[in-house]
Amino acid sequence: MIGEFEYLILSSAARLGTHAYGASIRSEIEQATGRRCSIGALYTTLDRLEAKGFVKTWMGEPTRERGGRSKRLVQVTATGVKEAGDFFRAISRISKGASWTTNRPTTR
Amino acid sequence: MDNEPADHSMSPRKSWPVVFWLSGFLGEAEREAVLGDLIESAESGGRAIANVLGLVVRRRMALLLDLRLWLALAFVVLPVSYLLCAIAQTTAGEGAVYSWMYLNNWDWALTRYPGFWYVLRETAVNFAITSLALACWSWSAGFLIGRFPNAVLQPSRNTFVVLLAASFLGDVPARFTQFWMYLHGLPLRPLPEMNAPITANVFYRVFFPWLVLAILVIWPAFAGIRQGNRSLLFGRKMRVVLATAPTISLLILLTQVPGFGLLLCAAFREWLWRNRYAAQVLPLLCCWPMCYLTAIIFGRYQQRKTAKANVNLVKEVKGEHQCSKL
Repeated sequence: MIGEFEYLILSSAARLGTHAYGASIRSEIEQATGRRCSIGALYTTLDRLEAKGFVKTWMGEPTRERGGRSKRLVQVTATGVKEAGDFFRAISRISKGASWTTNRPTTR
Repeated sequence: MDNEPADHSMSPRKSWPVVFWLSGFLGEAEREAVLGDLIESAESGGRAIANVLGLVVRRRMALLLDLRLWLALAFVVLPVSYLLCAIAQTTAGEGAVYSWMYLNNWDWALTRYPGFWYVLRETAVNFAITSLALACWSWSAGFLIGRFPNAVLQPSRNTFVVLLAASFLGDVPARFTQFWMYLHGLPLRPLPEMNAPITANVFYRVFFPWLVLAILVIWPAFAGIRQGNRSLLFGRKMRVVLATAPTISLLILLTQVPGFGLLLCAAFREWLWRNRYAAQVLPLLCCWPMCYLTAIIFGRYQQRKTAKANVNLVKEVKGEHQCSKL
């Protein structure tokens, strides 16, 4: 099963579609979690996901807003979609009845 | 995901040279993507440095855990740098003696004797062959390193240069010989300084050996690395041939290290002695890079010739087409 950060990357890449690349994925994760996402963590995890066959990455064309530098574009593969779906279902199942999902006060 | 410190203190103008320098430790494509991401997200100076540094550290740590790197260092880079250092030291020593003899002690009166010219010619040819063989071995070593996977290539190349320089500086081959003699209980008597007048000269003692190392070892090795990396584009059969050739060449290099005969069993030593002429021809095989480079140059020439012929043909066809229209 994939990890939490891997799930975040797969979800944001799937949401962004053809606009999924390093900076946009990072921005999505930061907005969703409210925490900083380092480039080191992002790129090493992307490599791991690519090695597992969950994403496909390639270098795009250079653009002006990036100082003439290329993007590393990301696309989630069918295996990646299945893994992310499995992770989501597992999280949903395990969260059922937990206080934060039912709005019950937390008990000790 | 990391919680990074909010560091906005460093201005981008000051920090970007550092970011560019740090990004040099990344692969070419990754550097391009990371710098582009930082520019697009208008990252502050300190944060940009922290991000790139973080990625570089992660990459280096991942590399240290890569078994391929350790195998490459243990079985290729370390032994090859030691062997090349030993041969380079011998070649530099010979070269220093001959240069000192002919350049520092030149006597016009000697030029009248035919014997002088005979010895000079023989010495020059011998030194040229030794130098060519060393350059070819270095090129072969580089070629083998150049065929390593990309992740392992850069650290292997850097370690190769560092090990060569360190072995040369620390006179590792001589120390290793002493250690070997100590292990086998042989007496460790200091050798008489035969070349004291030559080593008294700073140029021959300090600069000349480094010149030999730079010109006959490091430069050919770097050229070999470039060619080795390019050779990965060839077909499977050719790739096997091109992996075998430098390996055989470097095995022959092993036989050239002074004292190699002591490591062999008596029967094999005797066989070598009986077939010493064959053993003398063996180093010629190390000159395969000359054939390879000639074939590459010839192939490129043929490609250019064909391309030129095609362009001319297209022009002719176009000309005929226009004529028929008129």
